[in-house]
Amino acid sequence: MKLPLQRLRRPSLRLPGLPFPSFSGRLHDARTATAVGRLLGAAIAVCFVTGLVSHVLQHPPSLLANSLPSRPSWGYRLSQGLHVASGIAAIPLLLVKLWTVYPRLFARPLVRSVRHALERLSVAVLVASALFELFSGLFNTAQWYPWPFSFVPVHYAVGWLLIGSLLLHLAVKAPDIAAHWRRRSPGTLSLPAEDGPDRRSLLAATGAAVGAVTLTTAGQSLTPLKSLDLLAPRHPDHGELSLPVNRTAARAGVTAEAVRGWRLYVGGPRPYEITLDELRTVPQREATLPIACVEGWSRSARWTGVRVRDLLDRAGAPVGALIRVTSLERHGAYRVMVMPHTYARDPLTLLALRLNGRELPPDHGYPARIIAPNRPGVLQTKWVSRMEAL
Amino acid sequence: MRGRGRGNRALPVFRAAAGACGVALMGVGVWAAWRGDDPQDPWQVVQWLAGAVLVHDGVVVPLTLLAGLVVVRLRARRAVRAGLLVAASLTAVAYPVLFRPGVPQNPSVLPLDYLRNWLLLLGLTAAVTAATVLVRAWARRLREGPRDS
Repeated sequence: MKLPLQRLRRPSLRLPGLPFPSFSGRLHDARTATAVGRLLGAAIAVCFVTGLVSHVLQHPPSLLANSLPSRPSWGYRLSQGLHVASGIAAIPLLLVKLWTVYPRLFARPLVRSVRHALERLSVAVLVASALFELFSGLFNTAQWYPWPFSFVPVHYAVGWLLIGSLLLHLAVKAPDIAAHWRRRSPGTLSLPAEDGPDRRSLLAATGAAVGAVTLTTAGQSLTPLKSLDLLAPRHPDHGELSLPVNRTAARAGVTAEAVRGWRLYVGGPRPYEITLDELRTVPQREATLPIACVEGWSRSARWTGVRVRDLLDRAGAPVGALIRVTSLERHGAYRVMVMPHTYARDPLTLLALRLNGRELPPDHGYPARIIAPNRPGVLQTKWVSRMEAL
Repeated sequence: MRGRGRGNRALPVFRAAAGACGVALMGVGVWAAWRGDDPQDPWQVVQWLAGAVLVHDGVVVPLTLLAGLVVVRLRARRAVRAGLLVAASLTAVAYPVLFRPGVPQNPSVLPLDYLRNWLLLLGLTAAVTAATVLVRAWARRLREGPRDS
């Protein structure tokens, strides 16, 4: 049947004063919604899982507080790169999906039953949380915070709201999804056959849009694509010694005055203090490890310094102890960092003094900074002044 | 339909379980925002969630539908629709780097000429769209040519 929607409308249901639009356009159908929706669902699933990984690494539950894995060394770089890339890829998918199902917003009667009202409410939560998560995350990568609340806890909480409402939506729509899963599924076959080529064209266009936004941003973490990095907030080649910076020494309140006469305090059963010149005479190690930021950019670098475990052993720190690292920075949520023993004892974890063959510049943490494998950038503490076994 | 009998019994249970899990996970979200480690003002969060829907459903989609009214009348509507979708997606992703107010914290944040890059990408999208339209029209003429003459 190919009746335009207007002719199916029953005038008796029309509410006075509420203009209900009619949709005579094509492709507002369940097959299009299923074909786009499953890609969107996959992107959101990747985004949720990698987001959870990032949350646990930064705010470990007490059970994991001293046992987070320090390997693979590229783990966080991959997972957070995927988090931001899947979120960006989901933007065109979400916009097309919502365009496809938009006429359902005006379905009549507005509410048929309590169950129907709850279902519509859950869809409203799904749409709101999906839009909020993708765009708040995108704005965060550009360090733009137009909202009055704090980003991290709300982005985290709404992530649960999104995955929960998505699961509920999948449960409600399971029969429709199954009926339109394939080109030859019964539901798909009952749709007008002449929409097929148009639908494939829209799906190809959606794929092109996903490809375009991915290729022009992924270079901020996937270095081979850096020449195509045109729209990402970071570029691997921009930053002192080819490494971008989040927090400068000036912003952290670390002045030349503050680092003059710097000594590192290492706490444990045999606490000691050590000067920068003395640190340079301790056996130096080299490690190639990435700085991988929560905002999605990452860049590998060559670090030279002293193994953290060698410094801790000299103070007699117990092997299994949590380590507290304190920075010279005056203010900021990451002035004090707690490091599980798994990182502190990893031979790759350094108190770095040099970056890419040069002395650390102030913005990269002079005189000394932590570099550990598989850790978010905000926990790679700069301007270290104390390390203590807890 | 194959396996219908077994599917009919198992499916409702599985759906109900998945739906219940979904509701529970939504509960985790509400609890995390309201009572978690760093509780936030729930009213402000609700305002921003509702605002996102209002802007999308009230502005973005109506504008898209208006554009659609024009595009469906074009002969090359599929290619033009694809070009507009790519351009709109690039613009949505570029919005924060294009319009972020204030000076970035340091030179490695937002280091590129984003206006130039965005215009370059829109130009490229338009060029690829135009090329697709021309190639298709040329191929059609080649196919239909003998009949015309």
